Amino acid sequence: MTKKKNLRLNSVSVGAEAVIHVILAAFSLCCIIPFIFVLIISFSSEDSIRAIGYSFTPLAWSTEAFSYAFDKLPQIWRSYFNSIFITVIGTVVSTLMCALYSYVLYRPDFRFRKFFNFFSFFTMIFGGGLVPTYIVCTQLLGLRENYAALIVPLLVNPFNIIIMRAFFKSSVPLELIEAATIDGSGEYNTLFRIVAPIAKPGVATVALLNALAFWNEWYLSLLYIKRNKILQPLQALLMELQNNVQYLNQMAGQMGASAINEAAKMPSQSLRMVLVVLIVVPIACAYPFFQRYIVAGLAVGSVKG
Amino acid sequence: MKKLLSLLLACLMLAGVCGAYADEALEPVTLRVWFHGSTVTPDASEKVMAEVNAYLADKINVTIEPIWGTWGDFDQATTTALAGGDEVDIYFTCNWSANEYNKYARDGYWVKLDDMLDAYAPELKAAIPEGIWECAITNGYDGMGIYGVPALKDTATQNCWDVNGTLLAELGYDVDAVCEAGLDYYSDEFEEMLQAAKDAKGGDFYPLLIEPAVLERMVTHSSIITGDLNGANVLSYYYDAEHPSADIGSTIVNKFGTDEFAKFAARTYEFSQKGFISPSCQSTATANDYRTATQATAEYLFGTQSYAFGCELDFSNARGIDVRMVPETAAYMDCTSGQGAMMAVSITSKNPERALMFLNLLNTDPTLMTMMNYGLEGFTYNTNDDGTITFIDDARATYSPWTNGMGNIRILPPTDAQGVGFWDSFSEYYNAAETLPYGGFIFDASEVETEGAALANVFAEYAFNLMSGAVDPAEVLPEFQAKLEEAGINEFVSAAQAQMDAYLAG
Repeated sequence: MTKKKNLRLNSVSVGAEAVIHVILAAFSLCCIIPFIFVLIISFSSEDSIRAIGYSFTPLAWSTEAFSYAFDKLPQIWRSYFNSIFITVIGTVVSTLMCALYSYVLYRPDFRFRKFFNFFSFFTMIFGGGLVPTYIVCTQLLGLRENYAALIVPLLVNPFNIIIMRAFFKSSVPLELIEAATIDGSGEYNTLFRIVAPIAKPGVATVALLNALAFWNEWYLSLLYIKRNKILQPLQALLMELQNNVQYLNQMAGQMGASAINEAAKMPSQSLRMVLVVLIVVPIACAYPFFQRYIVAGLAVGSVKG
Repeated sequence: MKKLLSLLLACLMLAGVCGAYADEALEPVTLRVWFHGSTVTPDASEKVMAEVNAYLADKINVTIEPIWGTWGDFDQATTTALAGGDEVDIYFTCNWSANEYNKYARDGYWVKLDDMLDAYAPELKAAIPEGIWECAITNGYDGMGIYGVPALKDTATQNCWDVNGTLLAELGYDVDAVCEAGLDYYSDEFEEMLQAAKDAKGGDFYPLLIEPAVLERMVTHSSIITGDLNGANVLSYYYDAEHPSADIGSTIVNKFGTDEFAKFAARTYEFSQKGFISPSCQSTATANDYRTATQATAEYLFGTQSYAFGCELDFSNARGIDVRMVPETAAYMDCTSGQGAMMAVSITSKNPERALMFLNLLNTDPTLMTMMNYGLEGFTYNTNDDGTITFIDDARATYSPWTNGMGNIRILPPTDAQGVGFWDSFSEYYNAAETLPYGGFIFDASEVETEGAALANVFAEYAFNLMSGAVDPAEVLPEFQAKLEEAGINEFVSAAQAQMDAYLAG
């Protein structure tokens, strides 16, 4: 009986449900259609793109761009590896740092809580600016031409710390920690065996945000990877191709005929779309993985009543 | 133990002496050179640089560490690196990139080269014509002087009509005769040809493919004043279309305040109203992409093109039509073309004299220039019996620096497409270009910076629309003019004119 009542309480009328479904379906379509379009363009022949532009129904299909990318551009594979490597290492380390940092900020018995809170929050309001940051990174920390340059600058994100701290506050009651202490649990035991399992959804959220940030990063590569371009992540490679084409179009007035000749050297449009496909697929696969933890976590509680 | 130590010490001293001896020759140094517009993969770079460095070790004992800046990342990355004091020895610079030659010379980022040139790069000094060196003289941090080595490339400007000969023939015109006679933007024949193309190809076809700023300079016969607002030129200097060096009493004027401009804008608006100009050409958001795409598919009759020697061949091949270039003006040399590609030695360089020795060799030694620019024989190209080279396309695609950005390209071997004797005709064409009456004048706009910023805003609001024929000049031009005056165009023009007078007097 109660079950039935609950069901009715949560249910909406058929009409409303239909409307919601239509809206959600339309939204999903809006998200997926551009990707399908990109996929189609990547399989379109270059002649077709030239003749009728981008189209859902190209005049001719071709896998030439894919085979070119796989056979002729070893850098794509290296960049692929770089992107995955940076994302995995970066996500693990930055999520760990974020969780540990926000855990101490959440504990009211930590004496320097205020200072460290301010210490991270301050950087959200005042940044050092591009050039000073660049000088510190390259000259003081040696972050250039190496993987560290692509990972270290993104490790601590104050925004994620705030999210994580708020999550600890709302879902991990202090009573729980007190109870654990009374039961004789040490600090590490409390953190890893009691708090961590409850904090899983928060950690997963932050990990997802971090993974996205590392996967989508190209600017660090532009600044810090110049001579050793073997380390370029995939996003940087795509950005470079895209910027090249744009720059040459813009500069045609100043550079004259040279710009047109140089533009002819640029990879075909379908090849650029191949890169987009290669970039989107792995990160799209990461979503369901994280989603499991987030949904599961929402149903789990710690203190009853 | 003591014996061992003293032995070691003796060995060390001996090594020191040997080292000192080697010093008498040239100490080995590594130079970082930052190029622009490169399409070079890491593997190809490694392969070519191994050979280049082996060659350089014998010549000047230098190892090159190239930074292959691409078109897209160059601007942002170099300005940050310059500001951050990166240890780079040689930077590509020019008057149209973000690390603008004159500005960075003024701010003290480049080494002044005047005295060092004679000592370390005498061949280079001799190889580049005096007129081009003059363009490199700028008012830098350490006074007037040369702060960068200009590239001996397509060093002249000539504005041409880019004619789709195939379409013109289809329309029943005698292509050779039309091209021979030249084209006049204001003539009835010009309009008739556009109308004929429009009638033949239908309503969606726009026969006049323009780049508005180029069209304006071309039709009014005005030159860019080097140092004018970047990407928003508000200054004009009119020259004689047939003899650019002839002094016709021109002064620097407000580009938009002249009768020539009014006439040009009215004509362009008329063509736009008749449907000769695509609306895509009239929006800054789409103009560049549209032009590139339309050139590639050859769907135009007349276009505008700043000419480079031999480009009609490349264009004909790329577009699959008969592209003709019909000159609107004679070729002229000014600092905009003279400063089109340069190499500057950075003040962060620990070995500026060695950097200059490298530039000296790069610009005078065909073997080195060919290796740097075209790669290695058997890898990126093969040499033919007649001395031309044929590229191995796949490999060349992985090693393809920007040819013009490298330096003296006239010492390169001709490609099979260019044919034997190409570089001779190339040099002949560019050496024949006349210098504009104001010679190597460069405007330093730093004293009217406030006016410049205000003018750039006004320019962005009106100029493109007027030059592309999107708006009626009868209504908009007076309004634009008023806003320019408010923003301080008169101060800007007189500052430029005063500097030019001083330059010509001195």
